Amino acid sequence: MTKNKRSINIFFKRLFKWYLPTVALICGIMLLYCWYLSIQIDKRFSGRRWSIPSKVYSDTTILYPGQKTNRTLFNEKLRRLGYREVAHKPVNKGELNQSASFIQFYLHDFIVPSRYKEGVPVEIRFDENRIESITNLNTGQALPILELEPEEVMLFFGPHRERRQLVSIDQVPQHVIYAVLAAEDRRFYTHKGLDPKGILRAIYTNLRHASIRQGGSTITQQLAKNYFLTPKRTFIRKLKELFMSLTIEVMYEKNEILEIYLNEIYLGQKASEAINGIGEASFFYFGRPVSNLSLAESATLAGLIRGPNHYSPYIDKNRCQKRRNKVLNAMYEQGWISDEELKVALPLPVEAVGFGSYGKKAPYFMDYLSEQLTLLYSPKDLSSLGLSIYTTLDTQVQMAAENALIKGLDSLEKSNPKLYRTDPQKQLQGAVIVMQPKTGYVLAMVGGRNYSASQFNRITQARRQPGSAFKPLVYLSGLDKFTPASILSNESRIYEIDGKEWMPQNYAPMTEEHVRMRTALARSINLATVDLAMQVGIDHIISTVSKFGFSTPLKPYPSLALGSFEVIPLELARAYCPFAADGVLSFPLALKEVLDENDVVMERRHMSIKQVTTPEKAFIMSSLLQSVVENGTASSLKDMGITFPVAAKTGTTNDYRDAWFVGYTPDILALIWVGFDDGAPIYTSGSKAALPIWAGLMNALPQYVSGGWFRMPPGVVKRVVCSESGQLAVEDWCPHPIEEYFLADHVPADYCRIHGGGDSFGRIIDGVKDFFN
Amino acid sequence: MEGSLMGLKIFLIRVKMVIVTCIFGFSVVLSGCAPTIMKSSPEGYRGTSQEAGEFEDNTEKPVLSPRALAALQLTEQGRMFLEKNQPDNAIGILERALNLNPNNGRNYYYLAEAWLMKWNIGQATEFNRLAEIYLKDDSEWLNRVILQRKRIKEQSQ
Repeated sequence: MTKNKRSINIFFKRLFKWYLPTVALICGIMLLYCWYLSIQIDKRFSGRRWSIPSKVYSDTTILYPGQKTNRTLFNEKLRRLGYREVAHKPVNKGELNQSASFIQFYLHDFIVPSRYKEGVPVEIRFDENRIESITNLNTGQALPILELEPEEVMLFFGPHRERRQLVSIDQVPQHVIYAVLAAEDRRFYTHKGLDPKGILRAIYTNLRHASIRQGGSTITQQLAKNYFLTPKRTFIRKLKELFMSLTIEVMYEKNEILEIYLNEIYLGQKASEAINGIGEASFFYFGRPVSNLSLAESATLAGLIRGPNHYSPYIDKNRCQKRRNKVLNAMYEQGWISDEELKVALPLPVEAVGFGSYGKKAPYFMDYLSEQLTLLYSPKDLSSLGLSIYTTLDTQVQMAAENALIKGLDSLEKSNPKLYRTDPQKQLQGAVIVMQPKTGYVLAMVGGRNYSASQFNRITQARRQPGSAFKPLVYLSGLDKFTPASILSNESRIYEIDGKEWMPQNYAPMTEEHVRMRTALARSINLATVDLAMQVGIDHIISTVSKFGFSTPLKPYPSLALGSFEVIPLELARAYCPFAADGVLSFPLALKEVLDENDVVMERRHMSIKQVTTPEKAFIMSSLLQSVVENGTASSLKDMGITFPVAAKTGTTNDYRDAWFVGYTPDILALIWVGFDDGAPIYTSGSKAALPIWAGLMNALPQYVSGGWFRMPPGVVKRVVCSESGQLAVEDWCPHPIEEYFLADHVPADYCRIHGGGDSFGRIIDGVKDFFN
Repeated sequence: MEGSLMGLKIFLIRVKMVIVTCIFGFSVVLSGCAPTIMKSSPEGYRGTSQEAGEFEDNTEKPVLSPRALAALQLTEQGRMFLEKNQPDNAIGILERALNLNPNNGRNYYYLAEAWLMKWNIGQATEFNRLAEIYLKDDSEWLNRVILQRKRIKEQSQ
């Protein structure tokens, strides 16, 4: 008894002396550690929880009755926008049903700056490739205009390349929450971060199957692991996970934890991009927001959490369905769904919406845009702030431009094998830019043939001689002194420049010694152009051209008239815009708006214009350039399906190093360049190499062809002149009278002195004058 | 002496009159055979607004083309943004309308209005000038354009 008492005493002594302090110390350390963890957690959760890549969007697409469309490009557009074909009339957003004569689809909701558009079901009826009518299927009302949502074209990823769309717990339907809980943590709302029952059950299951079949981690543990810890399986890591879970549970409400978890979880892979969070996953797998997910779809997503790629419907539909049904059964066991709901959901096939292999869309345009964006935001901000960046890009035009360029270059190589080079870096190259001349909107940009082979943007970075494509600016300068009917010399002359002789030559030999200004431009006659330039004065030309926004230097040499000074193709395209825009030069606009993740506008850009020439001169220039297509160097356009009025200019440089074509209507302007980066000859002209690409592009874009032409401004008049003298034509006496436009204050005063005795009559009048004098 | 001088003067005047009469008569005869200057065809030959998409035909009541109608919808949206004093939103929409139908002068007018709201006199002046070009045939709108120009001037001072 005494011995026992002594033992008890010793025990209590030791207990108080050693064990209790040790335990208290351990508890203290644990508490301190938890306190430390709580600071870490708070720091992470109170700040920006995720890096959300900024998204770049195209412009919205406008449709209206009477508009011609390219059905192929239009259908591709709808597919890229996530509309999926169904065999019935569309009842859910994103569904599409079509036949040869109509398309019915249920529009997605969308937000663009300042506007929210709620999706409605619509029907577009076609008469061949023309939109006959647009009808709201809910109301039966005919719509005069329909706007399709902008298309996502690029994401600014961080190093992890994670796609994520955040959702709040209030947006998540109850059946989605139940599905996730059934799949991952049934007692989530009752445990305190650890689930001993779950752990025991997992141990039992794993022992029974002699393999790891089940994990015992709660949602909170998974969150702690994913958010703060490495995936390494070590005892220390597990201990940390445990403390962290307990701390998180103390610090946050259950719904807060669940919301973070639902936005955090990894749910699959889209090529090199990780799909994170249920918000992104519901679009990736089912093409709709999480709030619209059905029970079966919710169970499918929840089933993916355990092994997103193993159970992916894109990899194995059967395996995915089995896993989904397990989740459904678990939900039923918990009493979260009824017997009837289970019976309906179980046999349903798994149908994922599908996704296109993600390639960088409009890569050169995106590089051009990125240059502008990086002046506003750091790369880190772009990859983490979740900005929405709206652009002027039209993806249908972009695709048409890419296709036309590839087809054109392939065709050139086939027609002349000397142009074919095996090395992709040295291949024949081309570039396209498409703009809207009035506003400066850049609709499409193709800076080269193959972006993966060469990222050099030949539209914005190349400097090439424009050749005859520069001539319109010379002729514009000439309009102060000359008229389209003025006669220019086409005789060969020698000019002295810096002590050296320069003798320009025509592209092909010509017999005419004199030509009208209109003819000289239409047929791109070099000698007449130089004659004009010399009469107008090179300094005057430079002074005119300097208003058109070229950043490359122009020197006062006569060869300037023939486009011997290098220009940047984008700037050349821009310089043509005033001709199509009443003399107004617009700044090329690619970036329109930047919105933050709360849809607050952070940056906004509008068209910016300045007058560089008069509307009258612009109109006359368009008329002159229309002659290039009607009976000049671009007359082959008519044989390529271009039946609407076009103003255009071809360009070919010395030794056939560059081929150009710039063409426009009141609605659209496109510039094409073809050549080798190293300046090797392409052995053909702008009308043979670049023009067919332009024609191919325009034929693919009927929606941009109104067939209209420019209004004649009040300061322009029309007169009939003699085609030989350029003076007012005399009825019945001048053999080839033609109608010509003139500036109202620059109309020819004299009538033809070549034909109809005009000379003798003039002499009599002169004699009478002399007599009176 | 005086009388003979006088007689010579009268003679010379008569000779001059005869010559002038002859030349005048000859000129009249010649002018009858003189060449006639050819007249150009009436305005509206290739390249007027009819083909530019604003109006489909030019009968008594012009019918708006679907394209022009669609553009007008956007113009109206732009105008509503202006009423709400949201010039940036208005400009965004009006630019789209302009791309759809570059010949609608009201777009330019409203764009000038929007830029005026933003106190950008330069852009407002440019768009006002363009509005005048496109609305010259519409006396009511032309009047508005002129008044707008006055407001722009006032605001610039």
